[in-house]
Amino acid sequence: MFAGMFQRMFRRERKATDFDAEIQSHIRLEEERLREQGLTPAEAHNRACRAFGNVTHAQERFHESRRWLFFDHFSQDVRFALRMLRKSPAFTAIAALTLALGIGANTAIFSMVDSLFLRPSPVAHAEQLTTLAFQRVGGDYDSIFSYSDFQDIRNQSAEVFSQVAASMDLRGMDGLSVNGKQEPIWTSYVSGNFFETMGLKPALGNFIEPASGKSVDDAPVLVLGYTYWKTHFAADPNVIGKSVLINGHPVTIIGVAPQGFHSISTFLDMQGYMSFGMASVTADASKDFFTSRKPAGITIYAHLKPGVTLSAAQSALSVIGRRLSSQYPLDDNWKSLLAYSLGPLSPYDDPSGPAIIMLMCVLFLFLTGLVLLLACLNVANLLLARASAREREMAVRAAVGAARSRLVRQLLTESLLLALLGCAGGIAFGRLGSQWLGSLNLNTTMPFVLDFQFDWRVFLYALAAAVLTGIVVGIIPALRATRVNLNDILHKSGRTSTARRQRARSVLVIAQVGGSLMLLIVAGLFVRSLQQAEHLDLGFDPHHVLNFTLDAHEAGYNDAQGRDFLQNLLSRVRALPGIETASLAAVVPMSFSGNDEELKIQGYEPPKNQPAATADFNAVSPDYFRTMRMPILRGRAILDSDTQTSAHVAVINEAMAKEFWPSSDPIGRQFMSINDVQHPTGSTAVVEHLSITVVGIVKNGRVVNFRRDFRPYMYLPLAQKYETPVTLQVRTSLPLASLNPEVLGLVHSLSASMPVFNIQTMTDALDTLPGLLLYQIGAALAASLGLLGLALAAVGIYGVVSCTASQRTHEIGIRLALGAQRVDILRMVLGQGFRIVGIGVLAGVLAAVAIARLVGNFLSGVSPLDPLTYLSASLLLAAIALFACYIPARRAMRVDPMVALRYE
Amino acid sequence: MKQKMDVLQGTLALMILKTLDVLGPLHGYGIARRIEQISGDLLAVNQGTLYPVLLKLEQEGSIASEWGASEHNRRARFYRLTRDGRKQLQAETRGWNQTSAIIGRFFAAKSEDFS
Repeated sequence: MFAGMFQRMFRRERKATDFDAEIQSHIRLEEERLREQGLTPAEAHNRACRAFGNVTHAQERFHESRRWLFFDHFSQDVRFALRMLRKSPAFTAIAALTLALGIGANTAIFSMVDSLFLRPSPVAHAEQLTTLAFQRVGGDYDSIFSYSDFQDIRNQSAEVFSQVAASMDLRGMDGLSVNGKQEPIWTSYVSGNFFETMGLKPALGNFIEPASGKSVDDAPVLVLGYTYWKTHFAADPNVIGKSVLINGHPVTIIGVAPQGFHSISTFLDMQGYMSFGMASVTADASKDFFTSRKPAGITIYAHLKPGVTLSAAQSALSVIGRRLSSQYPLDDNWKSLLAYSLGPLSPYDDPSGPAIIMLMCVLFLFLTGLVLLLACLNVANLLLARASAREREMAVRAAVGAARSRLVRQLLTESLLLALLGCAGGIAFGRLGSQWLGSLNLNTTMPFVLDFQFDWRVFLYALAAAVLTGIVVGIIPALRATRVNLNDILHKSGRTSTARRQRARSVLVIAQVGGSLMLLIVAGLFVRSLQQAEHLDLGFDPHHVLNFTLDAHEAGYNDAQGRDFLQNLLSRVRALPGIETASLAAVVPMSFSGNDEELKIQGYEPPKNQPAATADFNAVSPDYFRTMRMPILRGRAILDSDTQTSAHVAVINEAMAKEFWPSSDPIGRQFMSINDVQHPTGSTAVVEHLSITVVGIVKNGRVVNFRRDFRPYMYLPLAQKYETPVTLQVRTSLPLASLNPEVLGLVHSLSASMPVFNIQTMTDALDTLPGLLLYQIGAALAASLGLLGLALAAVGIYGVVSCTASQRTHEIGIRLALGAQRVDILRMVLGQGFRIVGIGVLAGVLAAVAIARLVGNFLSGVSPLDPLTYLSASLLLAAIALFACYIPARRAMRVDPMVALRYE
Repeated sequence: MKQKMDVLQGTLALMILKTLDVLGPLHGYGIARRIEQISGDLLAVNQGTLYPVLLKLEQEGSIASEWGASEHNRRARFYRLTRDGRKQLQAETRGWNQTSAIIGRFFAAKSEDFS
């Protein structure tokens, strides 16, 4: 069967003329024989033709034998459909544009999902790669291990893992200086077998030796990330062997990581890799890095042995975990150790639940899917309206012998072509959308990857969406249009009111109203949530404050030099004209960085099964509270007299006072800071157990995120808790931009190589992912989808009502002739619209309630069932919908009965 | 109706193959004449019905064709049996013989044979 098909496809084709020639020669041979028998030429010709029989029949068979009829009909259908689409350009444009918007919105969101979750990992055997986490008392999972943990786990798990590797990421930026020019670089410190475990091959040069990274400074080498190599070294192959400085320490560039490997997580683009041996040289890791059991921010990756399942590895790990916890009891005792498959977000996500970004993707895929559905309904409606108009055409076709399947196929070809047009437009719209998403400024120096390139998956998705759309849109109109009673239609001469068809269209419009109301409500909730967040009392005043982040560590300064520099800088900046106050802080509100510390507080016992007392903290210079305008409620602020050598003090927020000293005055109380967890900037305090006295209480401020509840937060003097990088914040009455060059000049006059970044106003600095950015993106996306839905619904309702009204022109004429008032007509037509809109609004509200829980994840300060939003969205939609009904209703009211009756 | 056509077509195909087997390469007209002669005009078919069968056989690869000169130096398309065609003819012949033998025995049987 197939062999025959292929033969037919590839064989040299016989032309129809060739076949005709054969027939002619046949007839001539017969003629000749007959003439030899004595017949006249004319008679011979006639008899020969008769003997041959039906020539056309043979030709038809020949015609059919040469090709697949399917293709023949298909190309006919396509040509006809193209003619039909060209014949009504307005219809084609509206339908294709509608679908393009729907498909475009989907494609844009999908490109994000694709680049974050679907692109295959460049890591070899990614499915066998796991990352480890331990469970703290209180149930939180964490994946920050110490180097000793890594070694112990590696040595004890050889039965289940073929490789165990580790890396230490996001400890902050390093300064890479090449030929005297300093650039920031985000580096990862890795175990020697890191690249081997990932199964990667260097794009250039070599990777770090597998045996290295076990002791201090045994391999002063650097592997560059591919993107960094391209952007900062112009993809220069001679970079291998080059000697550069990292934070002032010489290292040699030995290789470049392969293209496509950003880091273990798809979000981050790690710019360089160095061996663990360098951690205490270039990153100021503590001197006991290799022996300490303090969590040092190390992530562990383990490659399952072939044939070993995750659950088998799990049980082996739980034994190791128990052994380690009893061997080295720590205050935040491990409960258990577990491995989980490496996902696109790991190791930075929480293994116990889906990440917020994943939920956001789900929500927006759902919402854009809804938009596409609305677009489909709209186009289906348009096609239904056209189907009524083409009823006679279909009937005539059926009457001259077209099979129903053939008619359905023809109509489906038309809708598929429409969808493909929409697909082309949609890809263009989607590109714009994803470019917008990719160009979002996340307001961080962290090397996030927002590379929403369109790859084949995105195109496939758009195409699949289009084909599905074409079928969804076309199938009902096609089936309806072809289920016709020939007699009925051919005799009826043009009057085409089939009540059933109208009912189908009404149902479509109800679905449309419902769907777009749901979109509107979600959009309203997002917008309200953004407004709430924007107008929330932050507890500090972000206006008129300018930020400059400085990294003394990157410039190669040690702690003492750094302190001197900052002290010097601060006094000079304060002397500048127009400066109200200036101060330094380790953490900028709503930024990605943040520190927390475990505390031991006399008289406070954490509730059972709850983690020990912890508080987030910031290290600040004197004047900080004045710069930020945070009111000190009791006690004092941090002063110049709080120095490195004086007693350790802290200013705490109201939440901390309430949490730990609920019934007494915290001022003058002491607590112990227990554990100096390695924080993202890499420097670790030298003192481990220090006693801190509470000297003041500051008003609660929203400095971590926009969540409702306040967590314990404390401010330590920067002099007593040296941090780098720090942010210089100045409050001024001058225009902020004018201050920029002055401060920068001052910094560089003190230290020419000092990196300064994140120069921005404090209000801009709030637009970060933990800050306002997520709300802004959410509100912008939801609002555009909501408006799109609203427009689609308005067009849909208008279309249905006006079409019904015009089909009832005749009836309206009769009613008017029989004495109906024009108002009655208006009421009649409007009534239909009211019913549709009413049911639709009800459906929309119910649908919005159904997804309220999902939406609630992204809202702050507004309930996902906020009645005001529901009410206003419903009213807005109803008003627009009714207006869309009113136009055709008024037209119907003005029908001239004489014209209406004579019509046809 | 359709079934009858198939039988006719199948029979015609077999006749064409057999004709080409016996007489060697031959044009469509020659095949038609031969079938008419052998069947003694009993098989009153239009000569034209032969061609769809020829097309089908050629598509299946049982026969091949090319232009040549007839006995009176007329241009005509000559069909010849291919190797596949020969095999097919053998198989079909066996099948046909079996069928006709069974049918023959069936009609020859008298009523007492069944009792």
